[in-house]
Amino acid sequence: SFYRPHFTGCRSREQETFRCWWSAGIFQNLTEPGALRVFYQTKNFLSEWQECPDYTRTVKNECYFNKTFTQIWTSYCIQLRSVRENITYDEACFTVENIVHPDPPIGLNWTLLNVSRSGLHFDVLVRWAPPPSADVQMGWMSLVYQVQYRVRNNSHWEMLDLESGTQQSIYGLHTDKEYEVRVRCKMSAFDNFGEFSDSIIVHVAQIPSKESTFPTTLVLIFGVIGVVILLVLLIFSQQQRLMVIFLPPIPAPKIKGIDPELLKNGKLDQLNSLLSSQDMYKPDFYHEDPWVEFIQLDLDDPAEKNESSDTQHLLGVSRSGSSHVLNFKSDDDSGRASCYDPEIPNPEDLASLLPGHSGRGDNHPLVSRSSSSIPDLGVQQTSEVEETPIQTQPAVPSWVNMDFYAQVSDFTPAGGVVLSPGQLNSCPEKKKEEENEKKIQFQLVSDGAYTSENTARQLSASVPPSPGPEQGYQTFPTQAVEGNLWNGEYLVSTSDSQTPYLLPEAPPAPILPPVSDYTVVQEVDAQHSLLLNPPSSQPAICPHSPNKHLPAMPTMPMGYLTPDLLGNLTP
Amino acid sequence: MNRVKVLQAWLWCVSLWSCWLSHAIPLDCKDETGSLIQCTSISQEKLLDRVIQHAELIYRVSEESCTLFIVSSQLENMQRMMEDMFVPYPLHALRNQGGTVCHTKPFPIPGSKTEIQQISDKWLLHSVLMLVQSWMEPLIYLQTTLNRYDDAPDALLNKTKWVSDKLLSLEQGVVVLIRKMLDEGILTPSVFEHTLTPYDEPSPEIPESVLRDYNLLICFKKDAHKMETFLKLLKCRQSNKLSCLSY
Repeated sequence: SFYRPHFTGCRSREQETFRCWWSAGIFQNLTEPGALRVFYQTKNFLSEWQECPDYTRTVKNECYFNKTFTQIWTSYCIQLRSVRENITYDEACFTVENIVHPDPPIGLNWTLLNVSRSGLHFDVLVRWAPPPSADVQMGWMSLVYQVQYRVRNNSHWEMLDLESGTQQSIYGLHTDKEYEVRVRCKMSAFDNFGEFSDSIIVHVAQIPSKESTFPTTLVLIFGVIGVVILLVLLIFSQQQRLMVIFLPPIPAPKIKGIDPELLKNGKLDQLNSLLSSQDMYKPDFYHEDPWVEFIQLDLDDPAEKNESSDTQHLLGVSRSGSSHVLNFKSDDDSGRASCYDPEIPNPEDLASLLPGHSGRGDNHPLVSRSSSSIPDLGVQQTSEVEETPIQTQPAVPSWVNMDFYAQVSDFTPAGGVVLSPGQLNSCPEKKKEEENEKKIQFQLVSDGAYTSENTARQLSASVPPSPGPEQGYQTFPTQAVEGNLWNGEYLVSTSDSQTPYLLPEAPPAPILPPVSDYTVVQEVDAQHSLLLNPPSSQPAICPHSPNKHLPAMPTMPMGYLTPDLLGNLTP
Repeated sequence: MNRVKVLQAWLWCVSLWSCWLSHAIPLDCKDETGSLIQCTSISQEKLLDRVIQHAELIYRVSEESCTLFIVSSQLENMQRMMEDMFVPYPLHALRNQGGTVCHTKPFPIPGSKTEIQQISDKWLLHSVLMLVQSWMEPLIYLQTTLNRYDDAPDALLNKTKWVSDKLLSLEQGVVVLIRKMLDEGILTPSVFEHTLTPYDEPSPEIPESVLRDYNLLICFKKDAHKMETFLKLLKCRQSNKLSCLSY
């Protein structure tokens, strides 16, 4: 259709006038002026076709519609006719606002906003004015502007967003580069941009700043050095903590033991629970018996005991006695509990045993103190007499004629254990049938804390299997024990000399003065002596007479096996 | 006696006047939560600015709706296809002629700048009000028709809905302006006959409704432009009468 005469376009600059242009095409005979004529019609009024009001004289093939003939919101239709031939070559319809291409803005200039610290970038503010032909003030035209810029002689233009105001900032321009900036506008809500304005050159010279880089590197270097120094200082000051964090200490053995503090201050029932919960004894070592064998007393025949020394009794393993185990945990043996009353031991029984005992502690029914020190036995004490799980079991062996329970009444300074046979045979006679002969193995740990597993194994190894479920420790008559055996060492009862434990044998029962069956270790005083319940009164619940076949004991300090006494026991 | 009568008359007048005032105020001021609060007063200049802002926004959104409609309805693609086959397509005609088939107004609005500049303030405001009121129903109608299309974009529906709401506010603002600037009461809204004459030669490939809806959008855009222009002219006159007159 380009060969035929046609309209090449219609434009309005300010929405008040517009022009239309046409071309004659290849029809040479129509190029002369007047051959082609333009007729228009405004569809609003459905008026007649009217001819172009003004053919521009200076411009070829242009029809100019001035203000009078320009109406917006009105659709126009124009026709290109050859009147001579009465042919309409072209027709176009439009509304004026749709053909508006505003004039370019004027007064484009720029101002420097700021330069970056490095001096490499800068920002500018570009300003312009609306085209004078556009009546923006009245609101006849609402213009929006578009700014474009590029590096000089570059082919690609950067476009910024449409701006309804008359200024815009451009950020991030490089110094030492020349930029071209131009702006154009269009009517808002319409699509036709006007022509671009003339370009302006934006250029900011780069300020040579050598010192700007220099301090930066210096600062960096010093900063790094400072940080390193801080780190080193920190590491050295917190070395211990860091060592703990990074190289954690090897954890202690998981075997629960007896806390020495607990022994000093704690309750006996806790100790009992601790000891009873220890499962370090393998079944093959300890067979059916789960209790800890702490005290093993060898109980010989009373007749033999009469002849042999206490030490022998203390140490002798040839005597087959019933082995008792220091039972730290209260079990529910029916008979025993009734007779167990550590608070009221027989005072007479203990009188011979504990001649030195004058007074008792405030809270302890039976307090045995010795002037000499006893190595730390690590035996727990309890203040709750009723709960004390230290039970004594009646002794079966006849030689001692002791009850199954034995009560540790006192300790020698050297660490010897003084047992009070007390009401040994009184109540728990009935239990004698229940109990089997057992051997009391009394082993003292001198260094407190807990018995290690090795030692426990040794302990249990030397213990013959005790079939009975009930164990206890038997108080044996306090006997003088040789001190040299107690010189911080353990008294070994069995022939197994490897066991460094004290195995005091139960001395012959008749020798011992009647003491209470069992007593409760109340506390360990500062001299590491056990403070036991005073054997002041008789156990009320025990129907039998407490004073029973208590072996006569040699006079000795209150409840303690003195070292010299112990020495007599050495085989 | 006279005193009492005068007092009575005065009280009666005051009560009547306050009654009339309260009835005459069509606006319900609501705060953010929607509860009615006492209307805060606003200066005439600010009110005019706000009204112009409304009109500008409506105009811009109407143009966006037109573009969106064209794109989503793929009328342009159809046009290209038709043009390739040398079949005249009504789209350009619709665009360029926009307004030929718009519904008629009770009184014609001049289109030339000179004529518009000669319109009085009163007629400017009334024209704007009339335009706003004439488009309330058609926009609701347009929403229902647009909802019927399967692939009408949500943006288009949202815009149409938004425009409907904004038109209401614009009407309220113009009413207040009329009251303030012209000291007039409220005009009863005239009933317009919305005769949307269908396009002369609907293309068989394009459903008639699509063309009709597009034409509606075009017409609305044009009228929104009118509202904006009138209001801006009004503002120009308020600030500086001399520069707003034609030279």
